[in-house]
Amino acid sequence: MAEVLIKNLYKRFGSVVAVNHIDLDVQDREFVVLLGPSGCGKTTTLRMVAGLEVPDEGQVQIGGRDVTYLAPRDRNIGMVFERYALYPHLSVFENISYPLRVRRWPEAKVRQRVQEVAETLRISDLIGRKVNQLSGGQMQRVAIGRAIIREASVFLLDEPISHLDAKLRSHMRGELKRLQREIASTAVLVTHDQLEAMSIGDRIAVMNKGNIQQFDRPGRIFNLPANLFVANFVGEPSMNFLDCALVRENGSFRLEAPGLRAKVDEKWLKGSKVLSAGSDSRLVLGIRPEHVRLCSGRQSGHEYCGEGKVYVVEPLGSEVIYDVEIGKSIVRIKVFEEEAKRLAVNMGDSVLLEFPSESIYLFDKESEKTLAQAGFALAEEAKA
Amino acid sequence: MATTVRQKRARPRLLEWQVQHNWWVYLILAALSIASVLPFLWVVLTAFKDRLTAFSVPPTWIFKPSIESFVTLITFRRMHKFLLNSLIISVSATVLSVGIGTFAAYTLARFRFAGRDDVAFWILTNRMLPPVAVIIPMFMIFQTVHLLDTHIGLIILYTGMQLPFVVWMLRGYFEDIPRALEEAAWVDGDSWFAAFRKITLPLVTPAITATAIFVMILSWNEYAFALFITGPNSKTLPPTVVTFMVERSVEWNQLGAACIFIALPILIFVLFVQRYFVRGLTMGMMRQLEKGRQAE
Repeated sequence: MAEVLIKNLYKRFGSVVAVNHIDLDVQDREFVVLLGPSGCGKTTTLRMVAGLEVPDEGQVQIGGRDVTYLAPRDRNIGMVFERYALYPHLSVFENISYPLRVRRWPEAKVRQRVQEVAETLRISDLIGRKVNQLSGGQMQRVAIGRAIIREASVFLLDEPISHLDAKLRSHMRGELKRLQREIASTAVLVTHDQLEAMSIGDRIAVMNKGNIQQFDRPGRIFNLPANLFVANFVGEPSMNFLDCALVRENGSFRLEAPGLRAKVDEKWLKGSKVLSAGSDSRLVLGIRPEHVRLCSGRQSGHEYCGEGKVYVVEPLGSEVIYDVEIGKSIVRIKVFEEEAKRLAVNMGDSVLLEFPSESIYLFDKESEKTLAQAGFALAEEAKA
Repeated sequence: MATTVRQKRARPRLLEWQVQHNWWVYLILAALSIASVLPFLWVVLTAFKDRLTAFSVPPTWIFKPSIESFVTLITFRRMHKFLLNSLIISVSATVLSVGIGTFAAYTLARFRFAGRDDVAFWILTNRMLPPVAVIIPMFMIFQTVHLLDTHIGLIILYTGMQLPFVVWMLRGYFEDIPRALEEAAWVDGDSWFAAFRKITLPLVTPAITATAIFVMILSWNEYAFALFITGPNSKTLPPTVVTFMVERSVEWNQLGAACIFIALPILIFVLFVQRYFVRGLTMGMMRQLEKGRQAE
């Protein structure tokens, strides 16, 4: 069993708190991703799991064993470093076989194991080469080979694909996920790339300023963000946020922002935390670019929220992104190509926006916590 | 009968702009070269003159060579003993200062501790100290601890003198090696020392070699302390030059021979190791790796 348990982990560098009393559990054979911007504490956390940093407080357990103060070599881990950290004066074979040679494995077994790993990673033809003759992608696979060769209990990865070019990165995302399933090892990966986290992780821990904002499955992180930070961090383009106020008129509720008014479902509101938050709490309306509906002219059957002017159009091939100026804010809308063609909207055009009430999120402006999750997400959740 | 032609390594050709077309540049270069080499040439020539020829005025360029001065040096002045002293002391000082300095440099490069930069600067300032300023106090200290005219005394002194240089040179090279390499070795199962020995050390070996060569040369040529701290037992070669001034005349041929004695061993040494010296100073295992990655 190789679960990783982090309890009350705390680490400070001088006056800066890098990791602020976090708890995390990684189940056996689970692939957990630590996601967050630079300086959020994700790498420090990983290094404390690896044994390269010693926590000021708290505990790290691997496979039920308290490893908090053990040296890395006693933790039975494999690690891939951000810039691969391959030994430049050794060949590819010597790099990959290093962990086995250190433990004095018999040469024949070492050679066999290296062959196996090289085949899995498709680098069999590179075995004899010197490390400085490899490309970035090849170096990365050698680094992965070195990490997995011993079949350690936990496999740690520190931004392993950040330094590859975009195409290779998107290819390696899938490869890493497959590999983890194949070797059936517990794995923890650190990244600042939300796309990477979403595609690879079984569960994602979103971190900011040393704290875990939310630790959940990718689907829930995306559709049911716990706070404004998570909602903003995940999703490309990011969620639109508009300061608004809740207005009650003739028994129905309305959200009002400069240039915008959106109707909201009373039942939904009553089931959320919005009303209990108090009338002076200021709200932030959140809606994802792919949920906003754009119309060039008024059509019946639609409840329009506001009118705006197209600030810029970004055609991305399969999708088009419109930046629409409404009130004092810019709302970004993502639309598929076919619909964009149908709309035929250009820069400077006046357009009508619709915010479907089941796609609206409400956040508290002060605490940034999510007060009301979008209706569609709640419905999906209830079905599951 | 088939003949196999041995492939000659293609000599790199100069580009058009690299070929020097101005003849007067060569003239200046020649003049400077002669001016630089002439004094040394004269010394070497003088060494092979007998006593009378050495004193002749005007100086003679063509003469019958004799090894009289060398013989005198060895039999009468025991130059071979001083040569041995120089050898023992320089090599020992080099080994000790590089050995200790390597670990000190590593510590300064890797560990973070209170006052680290102050310690580093203090180490550097030790090298800035002109030996002449502390010769007399050193003499008195050595006299008190009975280290005057001993090999050990001079070895300790030279080690102390060269340590700052070693630390200063090697610290940068250790800093150039990414910490991640050692960390990877730790994760792979090495202890701290094993990682240092198998990963870090091989990567700085060229720099250490170059530093050792430097220290060897500096120790061999050291004059000030050697003159004061040594006596007949432990005297090294550089101070011996003074002894050729007898009253108001100078034994030119012996002086020339002594210069050859002092300079030749270290010259031969450098000739043999210059390849490692240059490689060490311009080394870049890490830079090669970076270059390879940037090429993508």
